[in-house]
Amino acid sequence: MGKRDRNVRMSLQTLRVLDAFLENPGDELAGADVQKRSGLASGTLYPILLRLESAGWFLSRWESIDPSSAGRPRRRLYRLTAHGLAHASEVFASFGRGVPA
Amino acid sequence: MNGNELLAALPAAALSEYCLRRLDRFSIGLIEHAARQAPPALSQRLHEEWLADLAGRRGYVSRLRLALGCWWAAQVIARECGIVGVAAVGSGKAVAYAPHAPQFLSRRTVALLLITCLHLTLIYLLAIGMEHKTVSVPPAPIIYDVKDEPVAHQPPPPPAAPRFATPKFDPVEPQIPIESSADGSGISGPAPERLRDPGTPASAEIDRVPGGPGEGFPNTADYYPDSSRRLGEKGVASVQVCVDAGGRLTSDPSILRSSGNSRLDSGALTLARAGSGHYRPTLENGRAVSSCFPFRIRFEFRD
Repeated sequence: MGKRDRNVRMSLQTLRVLDAFLENPGDELAGADVQKRSGLASGTLYPILLRLESAGWFLSRWESIDPSSAGRPRRRLYRLTAHGLAHASEVFASFGRGVPA
Repeated sequence: MNGNELLAALPAAALSEYCLRRLDRFSIGLIEHAARQAPPALSQRLHEEWLADLAGRRGYVSRLRLALGCWWAAQVIARECGIVGVAAVGSGKAVAYAPHAPQFLSRRTVALLLITCLHLTLIYLLAIGMEHKTVSVPPAPIIYDVKDEPVAHQPPPPPAAPRFATPKFDPVEPQIPIESSADGSGISGPAPERLRDPGTPASAEIDRVPGGPGEGFPNTADYYPDSSRRLGEKGVASVQVCVDAGGRLTSDPSILRSSGNSRLDSGALTLARAGSGHYRPTLENGRAVSSCFPFRIRFEFRD
């Protein structure tokens, strides 16, 4: 585990966020989607997303749409990196089962 | 209808359209304010990201909750990140958030150091510094102020519990010549005699033989108190017993004349009680009758 990984605190909320992405690791999720899947409040969710992104577990990009034609602003999409997937799988394997609801 | 929609629908029905528009404007303003609170490198990104998430929300309450959450997230991010965030707007690879800026001492280390210092200080104070110094102060003069206390009217004391005096009864001991018992038991009783009732004529004489210890009566030596035996106490106690025609006690025996020693008297009473059933009843004209009679118990040493 690298130096940046040590900044990731494996709290229950962090595990819920990871669990939301592990449902389908290839998915790109906006903050609102993650919030629906994890049930976390936005005040808890966004710091965790940024923390995991800075640790290299997530990558984020802006949605590739034209806001004027789509009629809505573009969203920030997050996806699990290979590094994050490996560590998330390792964390859940050490717990033996998923995140308690 | 889920909980959020219900929560959103209830205030919507109650508030006017004007208030709801103001509420929505407040939510947007709060998000803009929160984004400005975030580190500058992340401010623009978070502003756009949160407004996009807000646009996806339905219901005024839900949008307000998101705005409040974003405000709180901005506080957390600003605290964790400091000013070290790296600009990443529009970039998919750059690190956008650098929490926990490298510090010489972490917050936890500082707390541990403070706790350690506090403990060391307390130990030092306990060891040498917290002695209680006494200062001799001359005692203040005692001021006397004598006052006449009013005499309290106390209620009269309750009457003393009645004491029932035990009727003193002076039994007339019959003049019986004291002789040492022939059987060596230390017990001697009155000799048979003829009693005449002074109010009755001579023809109505009653041939009365007083009772006494009979056959099988316990031996005096067995009831000699041990303490008296050790102390060399000896004496003669006169015991009054009441027995029925069968020679059994009808009442508790009593000391008629003390031996002068309470231990010997107690031993005499114990012996008299133990002899119940072995008394020779009083005979009147040859017939056993209930009666009371005295007899003596002698406690003495024998070779």
